[in-house]
Amino acid sequence: MDWAALWLSMRLAGWTVAILLPVSVLMGRALAYRQFRAKGLVEALVMLPLVLPPTVFGFYLLVAFGRNSPIGDLWQSLFGHQLVFTFQGLVVASVIFNLPFAIQPAQRGFEAIPVEVREAASCSGMSPFASLWKIELPLAWPGLMTAMVLTFAHTLGEFGIVLMVGGSIPGETKTIAIAIYDRVQGFDDRGAATMSAVLVAISLFTIAVTYWLSARVGRRLS
Amino acid sequence: MALEVMAQATRPIPLDIAFRVEPGELLALVGHSGSGKTTLLRCIAGLWRPECARVVVNGAIWLDTIAKIDLPTHRRRVGIVFQNYALFPHMTAVRNVMAAMDAPDRAEAERTLDLVNLHGLADRKPAQLSGGQQQRVALARALARRPQALLLDEPFSAVDRATREKLYGEIIDLRRHLAMPVVLVTHDMNEAQLLADRMVVIEQGRVVRTGTTAEVMSDPEALRAMGIREIAAMLPAIIAEHGVDGLSRLDAPTGPLFLPQVEGAPGTRVRVRIMAHEVILSRVRPEGLSAQNIIAGTIARIVPGVGPGAMVHIDVAGHEILARITRRAADQMALVPGDTVHAIVKSMSVARDHVARAPSTMKTG
Amino acid sequence: MIFNRHSILAILAAIGLATSPLAAQNDAPIVAAASDLQFAVAEIAEAFTAETGMEVRLSFGSTGNFARQIREGAPFQIFMAADERFIADLNTDGFTRDEGDLYAVGRVVLMVPNGSPLTPDETLDNLAEMLAAGQITRFAIANPDHAPYGMRAREALIARGLWEELQPYMVLGENVSQAAQFALSGNAEGGIIAYSLALAPEVAPRGAYALIPEEWHEPLRQRMALLNGAGPVAEAFYAYMKDSTAREIMERYGFVLPEDT
Repeated sequence: MDWAALWLSMRLAGWTVAILLPVSVLMGRALAYRQFRAKGLVEALVMLPLVLPPTVFGFYLLVAFGRNSPIGDLWQSLFGHQLVFTFQGLVVASVIFNLPFAIQPAQRGFEAIPVEVREAASCSGMSPFASLWKIELPLAWPGLMTAMVLTFAHTLGEFGIVLMVGGSIPGETKTIAIAIYDRVQGFDDRGAATMSAVLVAISLFTIAVTYWLSARVGRRLS
Repeated sequence: MALEVMAQATRPIPLDIAFRVEPGELLALVGHSGSGKTTLLRCIAGLWRPECARVVVNGAIWLDTIAKIDLPTHRRRVGIVFQNYALFPHMTAVRNVMAAMDAPDRAEAERTLDLVNLHGLADRKPAQLSGGQQQRVALARALARRPQALLLDEPFSAVDRATREKLYGEIIDLRRHLAMPVVLVTHDMNEAQLLADRMVVIEQGRVVRTGTTAEVMSDPEALRAMGIREIAAMLPAIIAEHGVDGLSRLDAPTGPLFLPQVEGAPGTRVRVRIMAHEVILSRVRPEGLSAQNIIAGTIARIVPGVGPGAMVHIDVAGHEILARITRRAADQMALVPGDTVHAIVKSMSVARDHVARAPSTMKTG
Repeated sequence: MIFNRHSILAILAAIGLATSPLAAQNDAPIVAAASDLQFAVAEIAEAFTAETGMEVRLSFGSTGNFARQIREGAPFQIFMAADERFIADLNTDGFTRDEGDLYAVGRVVLMVPNGSPLTPDETLDNLAEMLAAGQITRFAIANPDHAPYGMRAREALIARGLWEELQPYMVLGENVSQAAQFALSGNAEGGIIAYSLALAPEVAPRGAYALIPEEWHEPLRQRMALLNGAGPVAEAFYAYMKDSTAREIMERYGFVLPEDT
């Protein structure tokens, strides 16, 4: 059982969710409420990571911020080492390829709020922020939660992109999914089985907690 | 504390409207759907901005497209009751009301709910309330805002008839507590006539007629926009007694009126709408007729219509009754102003929701 | 409110916990090693730690893949390639300290899983027969594009004249470990893998093997080098690799050691 790899995966998923939560609120909300000419394009771009094969996506990410790319060089000059093959590089990649999981359900959640309810909030004297906090978030909460759970679970399992952008560096980029793969290659079936079981257990637990929370929220709203 | 509105636009529909509402006055904006009345309300609330508009409330400029002033909705002290209530579904009734308060105070919110006759239901969520109850919460929430203008957007259209009648009465009672200008958007003439002091009739975004309710209700030009069959006269009366056979007697300046099933204790002041097309005229007092109500009066004027009809205005003890008859009949009867005629009104033709309590401080006119 | 104090605190705590930086346990240098060294170098690393108390982290994969990653700035400190050409190229391009050292010469074997109809013999005659009889469904080698052991397997098969015929049934492993995995999984009749893997205690019981004649392919001259930025622990491990304990272990895994060639 590679606890370091598990912890790394949890941390990666945790950071991804932490960064994407405000993004999903802001972008999900903007896409839900506004109509603008480029909206179709933006939505398509957000969905892109879903339809691209992970290795293709990983390749493009490498091109975008690997060595000899503007972003890579910038990172190098700021921190003295490359962005790829580091945990931070994985976080960047993870945030990008989880965009559809984080934004789409959130957008649906906000879209489900009737326009008149939001208008009533303004008419009741609530500033846009007050309206977000008191009215919209409580109503869009199920969508946001779905988004975060999907993001978390997806990150725990992501393999191809992590491998390409991160390599398999123990303690730095060797996630549990890669560790399992490693075990299989090393003819350690028992190790692979143990880690797989743990991963499944965590995923099920996450989903169960989410449904429980969701039911609680649902009861409050009805 | 008056509300002044001017709005001109070409999109989404052509609009060219201006009017003024005094504090404590209830103005009805009437017109068919698509005529622009809801759009105008949204303009006052700040939910829509036309190309050229000006909204001034209590001397404060809420919107002036020329001076580039546009106060965001949440900074306008406006109370609005939406057609489908738009209550916050995740909050109880009392919390809905508190949400609109500057300084949320549960006791105060409960008092407001009492004011709109919602007792004991403060902790229910909207899903647990009936349509009429939700509408009351919406009204309470609008009032809790301490608005400088109260806007009602077809607030009773989603509610059933029986509840609507009750709500009319409650609104009339509530008016005593409302010091601000109130704008009511409706397509229901009955509602407009019963509740409003003044009316603005809108057709395809333009004002067809403005004036007091009585003026507008007797203006055929205005009413063509609304539908000729909507013309009615309004008579004040006092409930005298309820007969055992289901007929009530009301004492009006024109004499006794016998109407079916009027609600209210004897002594209650009411107003009765008498539809012009339900009135038959006779030169002599007829005998052997089934109609219970025969009212004698003097012809004030006769206004021929474009089609076969003619509107006869009959003066009875200082009040007016309207009768819509054919021009042929008017010619055949050789009716001229000054003639005495009898207006015959079937008791059964006066619907229940054509009788409403008279407001105590309302301006009549 | 939906977000009562408790749930917010719980959420924040969870996020805080999940994003906290790991205690700096990992200054241990990372060694990139070709997959054929999977078991041998793992043992050597254990011995190294036992003897010196210092730790290294190991990463196994295909040589070609590592070479690419090193060029992209991967933070390895030692590279143990399965083919010295990769080291030479990296040295030319300035990624290594020097030309490194030849640390072993490897061999390829034909290995078949228990119960396979294929029998391992160094002439590959049985393989040829079964192929002709249409009895081969899957045959695994490492990817010749970037894995040296795959390249040698290909050369050997070409030399034996079986390469073209075997094409439709070929399964390519990402690296020679994966090829071994495929070969012994029971889904293939067998494959050509590294000798060091066939000898490993975890692998040996799963099948039988036969050494493929060296003349049929280029030698697997395995070279290692310290990379730029290698620290003292890496240097120590590098030296350890050339030392007697490590050499004994390597011999046990079928490697031919430099002084012996």
